[in-house]
Amino acid sequence: MSALQVTWLREVRTFRRSFTGTLPIALFLAVVGWTFVMSLRKSDGGVLQLQTIWGVSVSPWIPVLCSVLTMRLFAEERATGMIDLLLVIPMRERTLVFGKFLSALTMTVFAVSLSSLLPLVIVPWLSPSLKSALHPTAFAMTGIILLLQSSLWCAVGTMVSVFFRNQTMAAVVSILLCGGIPLAFYAVILVWLPELRLNATWMPLITNVYDFSTGLVSTYAIAFYLVMTGLSLFICSKTLALLRLRS
Amino acid sequence: MLEVKNITFSYNTQETLGNITFDAAPGEILAIVGANGAGKTTLLRLLACLLMQDSGNTLIDGVDSLTRPIAYRAKIGYLSERCPLYDEMTVEEYLTYRLRLKGERQFRVRRRLDEVITQCRLDDHRKTMIRLLSFGFRKRVGMAEALTAHPPVLLLDDPLAGLDLPQRKQTAEVLTSVSGRSAIILAGHEISFLLEWCTRFLVLHRGRLVGSYRVNDYEKDLLQHKIEQQMIHGREEGHQL
Repeated sequence: MSALQVTWLREVRTFRRSFTGTLPIALFLAVVGWTFVMSLRKSDGGVLQLQTIWGVSVSPWIPVLCSVLTMRLFAEERATGMIDLLLVIPMRERTLVFGKFLSALTMTVFAVSLSSLLPLVIVPWLSPSLKSALHPTAFAMTGIILLLQSSLWCAVGTMVSVFFRNQTMAAVVSILLCGGIPLAFYAVILVWLPELRLNATWMPLITNVYDFSTGLVSTYAIAFYLVMTGLSLFICSKTLALLRLRS
Repeated sequence: MLEVKNITFSYNTQETLGNITFDAAPGEILAIVGANGAGKTTLLRLLACLLMQDSGNTLIDGVDSLTRPIAYRAKIGYLSERCPLYDEMTVEEYLTYRLRLKGERQFRVRRRLDEVITQCRLDDHRKTMIRLLSFGFRKRVGMAEALTAHPPVLLLDDPLAGLDLPQRKQTAEVLTSVSGRSAIILAGHEISFLLEWCTRFLVLHRGRLVGSYRVNDYEKDLLQHKIEQQMIHGREEGHQL
């Protein structure tokens, strides 16, 4: 078993055993369920398809879930001093970072997968015309954009966790970074730089969910998520390496 | 064999360790002693690759900590002063996890685990949750973890702190038994007790190595007096390396 697998397995077990893993997922599912039902009622008679409603119900809550799941990954290790024993192990920092990131991503994907039961449950009650409009591919594309978003937010959360010893602080900063900054940035553009609005239509990242769920797949968006995920993990592993220079 | 050559380390602009040079071979139990703030923990953290020196080199069997850090780290076992552990795991789970993380092959994990658990007298606590252990037993688990992969160099930061006399004696027995295959470098304060089983002493005073003594070369009382004087005043006595 490689160090990556061992790290991943240990973190997933910890998530399963602790409230910091199970409680946020339960709350996430409850909030997503409520959002989904409200969105269904609002879009009654509208043009939105079922997978789009599911996607936009889930997407805004993923940053919150990821922030809470990732807050303890490194902050706890730093607070207890366990980080020293991890850095003494003969493995690269990026292996440790990637193992922890993958464990948080696994839990997020698990939660998002459970939430996909919501649209599936109501399919039998849809009118025949709406049923015929449903496409598994559209659902799959919605799932892919949610997976990309999950990986980005998990990577950002993991990165933020390295900078803190206090888990709550890590979660708050992570939520601000994941949810607050993109929205604030978009709001600033709308208010003060409206001429740039068309260049920043991707900014509230929920737009990507609308696009993907309706078949407007953009390689630019995919590249954006992958690059930002990689960049966050890179910063995380380099920060960890810097801890060696000045503890 | 551990070789430390002219190591210097500063926190910001203040020099914490200056020009430290020594070596240690398997069979030796080397105690680093000094007053609080003398630089013992910093030196051990440097040797464990948890800090990076400003200048100088550290080598184990010719492997440099700066040029081949992963190969270097594969050769050390480290026990931190705070002895952190994962409280939610059992002793056996924790040691297995650490062995696997160190890249131990699957077929050897069980053997090493049994060996180290017996060695550190943890047989009755294999399935005990770590959070339920007393401080003394937590230290033993930390020690067991450091010993698991049979490292050529063991770095132990204050392994006796917080232990009662029987536990100290047990720790000394364990370390003496493994000293044949590992060079043991430990930091501590209890000179009279360390004199019973350590083979060499290095005295640090304000980040400088002010003395190095082989225990066999001196009367124990005389050596204890010399070391204590050097710890307090930093006067250079004994065999300077």
